[in-house]
Amino acid sequence: MPENPSRDEIVKARKEVYLGSVVAPRVESRKLFLFSLLCALALFPLLQVASGRFNYWLHMLLFTFLNVTMAASWNIIGGYAGYISLGHNVFSGIGGYVAGALLIFYGLSPFLTAPLAGVVACLFGLLFGLITLRTRGSAFIIATIALVLLTKLGLDNWELLGGTNGVSLPLLPLPARFVKLPFYYGMLLTAVGAVYLSYRIRHSKFGLGLRAIAQDETKAEVAGIPTSLYKILAFAISGFFPGMAGALWAYYLTYLRPTIYFAILGAAEIVLMVLLGGRGTVAGPVLGAVLLVAMNEFFVARFGSTELNIAGTGLLMLIILIFFPEGIVGTLRDRKKLPRLLDWG
Amino acid sequence: MALLELNEVTKRFGGLTAVDRCSFTVEAGTITGLIGPNGAGKTTVFNLISGLLKPDVGKILFAGEEVNGKPPHLITRKGIARTFQIAREFEEMTVLENVITHSPTRGLPDLLKRSVLKEEREKAIALLEFVGIAHLAYEEARKLSYGQKKLLELACALMADPKLILLDEPAGGVNPRLLERIVEHIETLHRQGTTFLIIEHKMDLVMGLCHPVIVMAYGKVLAKGSPEEIQEDPRVLDAYLGAA
Repeated sequence: MPENPSRDEIVKARKEVYLGSVVAPRVESRKLFLFSLLCALALFPLLQVASGRFNYWLHMLLFTFLNVTMAASWNIIGGYAGYISLGHNVFSGIGGYVAGALLIFYGLSPFLTAPLAGVVACLFGLLFGLITLRTRGSAFIIATIALVLLTKLGLDNWELLGGTNGVSLPLLPLPARFVKLPFYYGMLLTAVGAVYLSYRIRHSKFGLGLRAIAQDETKAEVAGIPTSLYKILAFAISGFFPGMAGALWAYYLTYLRPTIYFAILGAAEIVLMVLLGGRGTVAGPVLGAVLLVAMNEFFVARFGSTELNIAGTGLLMLIILIFFPEGIVGTLRDRKKLPRLLDWG
Repeated sequence: MALLELNEVTKRFGGLTAVDRCSFTVEAGTITGLIGPNGAGKTTVFNLISGLLKPDVGKILFAGEEVNGKPPHLITRKGIARTFQIAREFEEMTVLENVITHSPTRGLPDLLKRSVLKEEREKAIALLEFVGIAHLAYEEARKLSYGQKKLLELACALMADPKLILLDEPAGGVNPRLLERIVEHIETLHRQGTTFLIIEHKMDLVMGLCHPVIVMAYGKVLAKGSPEEIQEDPRVLDAYLGAA
């Protein structure tokens, strides 16, 4: 600004501050942080290629990516729109079955058909949402549990796909040293896609409408928001990346089986991750997924797969939630202490 | 042609007939008052007009077009805005976001746009300045006082440029100074061509501001006329004070 600014210039400058259009200077450091993180994750498998001793870490990371995908997607309907789904494992299960069936009967690689599996999961969510999202509140939660049971029941009796026993999938023909790499990159891509989608929705008109629905659905409807349409869309969209991730995961596990993919309350862990990180925030589900996977793994390594590991994870989670009732990201943001690196909206 | 017309509208809740063959019109450019004892069915009428309830029988016409049975968001898009008796807000959103949530969107391409567009922000700030709470634009709505929430509701109602605004007890729980401001806003908007239908219990307010006044009792329209006519109507006195 010139040394003696005119009145107009002062007004303009004030207005800019007032309207919040002055870009915070440290936004760039956040972008840099995320970019470096992605580069590091993209380059990590080189260690495995070079030494062959990192398969465990690849597995842990790709399992984390799966959970990040699930948590970030769940957050679209469960966090932004406030509709708790306890059936989100259905989407990954369906993705797995679609891609698995295409592999068995047509020899199509799940790496090619994963997006299609996502679309099928989406359509399934659309159909289910059309029926159940006319209701409000807790009826929806019950309906999502029923969704898991119904889908499991259907596949239990679908003999073509192995019924209750399930069916084995052919292995990806690669040596053990490299076999995890395609899964790692596929899952990384899916997780990045899910988080990016969640971020875009959070900052869109659609996201604003979903948040309005979460807080006062009647008021949102009177404000001019087609609430039913928004909810159904949100539920369907939240199924896409889980469907894709499920396709890769089933191929990775090399089998399809209803009891594994459609466990009752199998989605509860996803909900816990989001609550831990911060429901309705963009970074929360990511942080929650990473933490919960790490906690589980730590306690399993320490106590073995006994009941103790579950108790340990539960206790730690309880303690965190006592101090961060809105989840880590949510509570820090409320206290205005959220590091900018985690402030994704 | 009347801007809003209720034609023999009936709404029952179980055995209770909350609105009973209710007919009245609201002419464009008026500030129409809707009064009546508690339980007369006034808020139910609002809920029927705004689409939150569907009439069992009867028709509701807005600008000549039948709107009964349409979902609330479509009715809002046609140009009817409303406020609630007890102020409601999206409490975890900022005041600005509250107002912008009421901005109309059209179709899927609009949904993908940024949540707060520049022109919307300018308009919302202008509306918040109009009602006098622009300095709170970036606060969370739950931090507002009750009176400020009432003002926020008014700003929200104005965001979609409605032709008709339904105000449910704008004076309820509001201090006299703030009430004066709200009345001023209503008069300003009225001069600019907005039509109002107002439910209110404060009689001096209704008699000073509204013309005509509609009186409801037991779900029926009892009388309609100028404030003077209404005050002298024996049926109205009966309804409020009990049969003599």
